[in-house]
Amino acid sequence: MLNNEILSWRAATRPRTGAAAIAVRSPVLLTSYPLLDTPHCKPSGRTSKLPMPSINNPHFVLRRLHSLLGVVPVGAFLAFHLWENSQSRFGAQHFNEAVVGALAGLNYLPFIEIGLIALPLLFHAVYGLVIIGGGRAEPLRYPYLRNRLYWLQRLSGIGLLVFILVHVGMTRIAGLMDPAIHADLFGHMRAALSNPWVLGFYLLGLWLAVLHFANGLATAAISWGLTTSAAAQRRFGRVCAGFGLLLGAIGTHGLAGYLIAPTGAGA
Amino acid sequence: MTGRRVIVVGGGLGGLWATLAIAGGGHRVLLFSLFEVMRSHSVCAQGGINAVLDYQGQHDSVAQHIRDTLKGGSWLANQPPVKSMCEAAPGLIRTFERMGVTFSRTPEGLLDQRLFGGVKHKRTCFAGASTGQQLMHGVDQQVRRLEAEGRVEKHEWWEYLGLVKDGAGVCRGVVAMDLRSLGVQAFPADAVVLATGGLGQLYAPQTTCSTNSTGAAASRAYQQGARFANAELFQFHPTAMLGEDKTRLMSEAARGEGGRVWVPKDPADRREPNRIPEAERWYFLEDWYPAYGNTVPRDIASRAIWRVCRELKQGIGGGDRVYLDLTHLDPGFVESRLGAILSIYRKFAGTDPLDAPMEIFPAAHYAMGGLWVDFERDPASGGVKPGSPRNHATSIAGLYACGECDYGYHGANRLGANSLLSASYSGRVAGEAVLSHLAGIERGADAVPAAPFDAEVARQQAINRELMTGQGNESPYRLHEELGALMTSRVGVVRDNAGLDRALEELAALERRAAHMALAEASPWANQTLAYARQVQDMIRLARVMAASARVRDECRGAHYKPEFDLPLPQSGRSAQDLGSPEWSQYRERWAANNARWLKTTVAEYSADGPRIDFEPVDLSVLAPDQPRDYR
Amino acid sequence: MIGIAGSQQLDLRRVGTGYAGGTRDTRASTRAGIETQRQDPADNQSVELRVRRQDAPDAAPYWQTFRLRVRPGDNVVSVLRALRLHPITADGEPVDPVAFEHNCMEEVCGACAMLIDGAPRPACSTLLADLGTVIRLEPLPKFPVVRDLMVDRARLFERLSRVKAWVRLDGPWDTHERAPRIAQRQWATDYLYSRCMSCGICLAACPQVDGQAQDNNGFIGPAALAQVRLLNAHPLGRYDKPERLHAIMAQGGLTDCGNAQNCVRVCPKKIPLTTAIGELGRQTTVQALQDLFGA
Repeated sequence: MLNNEILSWRAATRPRTGAAAIAVRSPVLLTSYPLLDTPHCKPSGRTSKLPMPSINNPHFVLRRLHSLLGVVPVGAFLAFHLWENSQSRFGAQHFNEAVVGALAGLNYLPFIEIGLIALPLLFHAVYGLVIIGGGRAEPLRYPYLRNRLYWLQRLSGIGLLVFILVHVGMTRIAGLMDPAIHADLFGHMRAALSNPWVLGFYLLGLWLAVLHFANGLATAAISWGLTTSAAAQRRFGRVCAGFGLLLGAIGTHGLAGYLIAPTGAGA
Repeated sequence: MTGRRVIVVGGGLGGLWATLAIAGGGHRVLLFSLFEVMRSHSVCAQGGINAVLDYQGQHDSVAQHIRDTLKGGSWLANQPPVKSMCEAAPGLIRTFERMGVTFSRTPEGLLDQRLFGGVKHKRTCFAGASTGQQLMHGVDQQVRRLEAEGRVEKHEWWEYLGLVKDGAGVCRGVVAMDLRSLGVQAFPADAVVLATGGLGQLYAPQTTCSTNSTGAAASRAYQQGARFANAELFQFHPTAMLGEDKTRLMSEAARGEGGRVWVPKDPADRREPNRIPEAERWYFLEDWYPAYGNTVPRDIASRAIWRVCRELKQGIGGGDRVYLDLTHLDPGFVESRLGAILSIYRKFAGTDPLDAPMEIFPAAHYAMGGLWVDFERDPASGGVKPGSPRNHATSIAGLYACGECDYGYHGANRLGANSLLSASYSGRVAGEAVLSHLAGIERGADAVPAAPFDAEVARQQAINRELMTGQGNESPYRLHEELGALMTSRVGVVRDNAGLDRALEELAALERRAAHMALAEASPWANQTLAYARQVQDMIRLARVMAASARVRDECRGAHYKPEFDLPLPQSGRSAQDLGSPEWSQYRERWAANNARWLKTTVAEYSADGPRIDFEPVDLSVLAPDQPRDYR
Repeated sequence: MIGIAGSQQLDLRRVGTGYAGGTRDTRASTRAGIETQRQDPADNQSVELRVRRQDAPDAAPYWQTFRLRVRPGDNVVSVLRALRLHPITADGEPVDPVAFEHNCMEEVCGACAMLIDGAPRPACSTLLADLGTVIRLEPLPKFPVVRDLMVDRARLFERLSRVKAWVRLDGPWDTHERAPRIAQRQWATDYLYSRCMSCGICLAACPQVDGQAQDNNGFIGPAALAQVRLLNAHPLGRYDKPERLHAIMAQGGLTDCGNAQNCVRVCPKKIPLTTAIGELGRQTTVQALQDLFGA
C-alpha cells in the first residue's frame, strides 16, 4: 500500500518540479513554450484524456445498465418468483400443475429464461463483482446507516451469487437432468426444505435477495436522479424498506408453504 | 505577441487577478504560493465588497464612495487611485458575478447590499458571511482554466525568498525554495508581481490573520531595496473573538446588519447577559456616536472598546471584553446573512450568538501600509491612467506589488469591505501595468547573464545553511511569540513614544537573537521549522519598520493613535451655529495646521542599521481634506 | 461520530478568562507563561497525543506519543502548534516537530484536515473539549503522505480541472451589462455548494475513492461533483453543462458513486453533497437520453 502511495505521489509531483528544474538554467527551453496568443489552444497532456460523450464511452452506459437490469428484469423477476412460490401453501397439485405446469407450457420459454432472466442476472452479477472490486467499505469507521447498507449491498451480492448458483442447480438444472424432479417440484422442494440446514440456507438467501433488491431500488432512485434531496431519499428509502419487508414476508410464507401445505391432490 | 514570462508571488485575490490580467494578455505566468492557492488568506474575508450599485433606493453615488474612503482613511491615501478604484467597483462586481460568485440576492433577484462601517449607504455586496471565499472561488476557477490551457504554471508549496536584480538594479526574477525538497532555485522573469498579503502575524496570536500572513515576502523585498510606505498604519478590528491561539474575526457585517455593542453598566454584574435589563446596559458606541452608532469606522470602534475596557475599566467583569449582541434580531434573517460567522462562533466558543451575545475585543487585522507603489495620474479623468506601466510599480524596476502587501488605497484606516475591492482592483491594475511594462522592454530576462541568479541562489542557500547548521539556542517559535506580545503591547491600538523607543530597542535585541536560532530539527525534507525561522527573521525586520514609522509620526491619524498628540473634537454640537463657534474655528485651525505638518506618506528604506524614514506628499487632487472625521 | 478514545472528558469548552490584551509584559511573562502553561503532564488537564509520523513519502510510518497540558478553548491545531515549542516525546526523547498544515484556524481554508481518533476532520475546529484525554492523529487517508500529517492534495484540484469547474468567460473585464438575476431560493441552495473549502475530508471518507488509483481513473469524489452541480446552475455556467456532464459520465465519474453517503455525514461545512449527486444523476440521465436519441 505504502509503495503505491509513493508512486502516485511521485507521479503527481514530478511534472511540476521537473518543469521548475528545467526553467532554472536553460534559456533555450524557456523560448520553447508554445505561443500563447491562441486563447483556444488545446491544453497539453490532459486533453487527450478528456472524456467523450456518453454514447462513445461505455462506462456510463454499463453502470446504468447494471443498475437498470438489477431492477428490471432481475428485481421484477424476483418479485414474481416470490409471489409464484407463495402458491406453495395451496398444495402439491395446485403448485405442480397451475404454477409450474402453466409456466412450463409457455412458448419460447427457454428464450425468456435465458434472455430475460439468466443473461441479465449474469451481467448484473459479473459487473457487480467488478464494482465491488473498486471500493473499500469501512463499516466500523463510519457506522452510518447508508454506509452499512453500502457494505451489506456488496456482501449480499456475493452471498447471492453463491445462493443463486446452488438454488438454480438444485431446481432448474436438476429438473432438466431428472424429469421426476420436474414433474413434482413441490415434493422435491418439500423434501429439501425439511432439512433445517437447507431451510436456513434458503431463508438466508431469500432475505439477502430482498435486502439487495430493496436497497438497490433505493440507491437506483438516487443514481437515476429520481430522488435528490436528503428528505426525498429518506422517504423513498422507507418505501423501499416496506416493500422489502413485504417481499420477504411473501417469500418466507412461500418457503413455509412447502412444509405446511397438504401433499395430496385434493387440496 | 511575444509571450514573455511573468512571476506572480501569492495566490490570494490580488495575485490571482494579476495572473488573469497577465495571462489574458498572452504572457506565461508562473504563480508561486506557499500552499494551494485556494487556501490563501483572502478566503477569510467575511462581510463583503463595496461597490456603488444603488439598488437600495438610497441615492448612493460613486462620489460618496470616494469621499467615505478618503475621509475614513483620514485623508492619507493618494486620491487618484482611490477615485479609480471606486469607479471600477461596480464593473468588478459584475465580472465576479459572471464568474459565478454566489452573491446574496434581494427578492427581485438583484445583488443584495448591506450597511458597513463609516458609511451611511447600503453599499456592500456580499455572499452570506463568506464573501472572500466566494470571490476567491471565482478567480481561482478562472486561473485553473488558464492552467488547464497551459497559460499559467502553478508553483504551489514554493516560498519566495528574494529578488534577482541585474547590474542596473532591474528585477529579473526571483529565487524560491521548494518547501518539500528545500531546493533553492532561481526563476528568471521579465516582470515580478508581489501579492503576498498582510502581516498580521506580527501581532500573533492576537490577530485575525492566517498563520501565513507573516509579511515575510514584503520584508524580503524591502530588504532588497523596495521602499515601504505607511508602515505605522495598521488596523485593529474591533470585533474579534477571544482566543488563546487566534482571535477569530466576527465580521463588521454583524454590526452592519443591526448588531449592538454593549457592556453592563456595572462591570461587576455577573448575571448572564440575557438577564441584564436594557436599563442596566451601556451601548457606548450608540451613546458616543449617535449619528453612526455601531457602524463607526473600525479605528474608532476599536479605540472606543479599548477605552471602555482599559481606561474606564467597564469591560465585562472588568476584563478585556465587550458584548456584540445579535439576539434582538430575527434568527432566520441573521442565519441567512451571517451564517458563516455564527458557525465559527458556535464551533470555537461553544455558544450560539443567536442565544447569547458574543464576547469580543479588538485584534490586529489589516496593514494599510505596505510596499510603496507608484501610479500615474490621468489629467483628463483625475484618476489613474489606465494601463500605465507606472501603476503599482514598486521602487525597483520590474517589480510590482498589489493587494494588502502594497500601501495604495486605505490611507490611515481602511473602511470595512474595501479590502476585497482593493485586492481585486489592484491585482487587475498591476496586471495591466505589467502588460505595458512588457511591451516596453527590449531585452528579456533570458538575456541576462547567469551571474546575478547564481549569486542570489548562493546568498539564500547560505542563509539556509547557517540556520540548519548554526549553533544557536533561540527557538523561532518562541521568538515569534515574543514578537507578537511586544508588538501588541507597544505598537498596538494605543501608542506612546516612550513605549515605541523601548519597542525599537527590544526589536533590535530580538533581531540579534534571531541570528542565533536553533531549529531543533535537521530534516532535509519538508522541514517546516527552517521556513518558519526564515520568516521570523524577516518579520522582526519588518516590525522594526513599523515601530520606527510609528515613532516618527507624532500625531493621531486613523489607526495610528498617540494620545499625547490627540486633537479632541469640540464637545459642542454640530449645528450650523455651533460650527461657527470660536471653539470649532479654533479646532479647525489646529486640525489644518496638523495636516500641514503630518498629512504625508511615511516611506521607509532599508539600511543595515535599521530603517531610514522619510516622507513624501500625498496626492490630494480629487478632494481637498475639507472636514475632520466626526462620526458623532 | 466515532467512538472517542480515552474515558475522561475535559471541561475546556469556554474560552479562558486569561485574555491578556496588550498589557502583558513581553519577554519574561511570555516565556514563563508558556512553560507553566504547557509543561506539566502531571496536571489532569493534560492530554496524550499519539501521532502517526512518517519522515518522507517513501519512509515507513511509525507512532510517537506526546503528553502536554492544554488550555481552555484549545483545538487540535493549537495543541500541535504548542507542541512545536517542546517536541519531546512522552519518553523524554527530543524529536523533530510534527509537520502539519494549517492556515486560517477558523475552518475556511481547508488546510488542516486529518484523521482525529480515526475520523477525518478539520483539526482547527476540533476542540479538545470534545475529545478524550488520549488523542490519535493520523494523516488524511486517500492522499499521499508528504511528511507526518501533511498530505498532497493535488489530485483534488486536478479533478476540478477534469470537470471544467469554471465559467468560460470571454475575459475578466467589465462587459457593462447588469448581472443576470437569480432568485433568492436558487441562491440559497447554490451558496451551500460554493462554501466548499477543498479540504478533502469527503474523499477521505468515501469508500469508492481509491487512495492508490492513478488520477485519471479513480472515482472523482463528491467535492468535484458538487462543483459541477453548482456551475451547471449558473446562468452562464449552464452553457457548458453538456461538457461537464460528459466529463462526469466517464470512467471514475458520477456512476462510480456507491451511495454510501459518508461524504455528507463528514463534510465539516454541511454541504448537501448527496443531493448534488442525486441532481447530477437526473442531469446525466437526461443528457444520456439526449446523446442517444437526441439530435
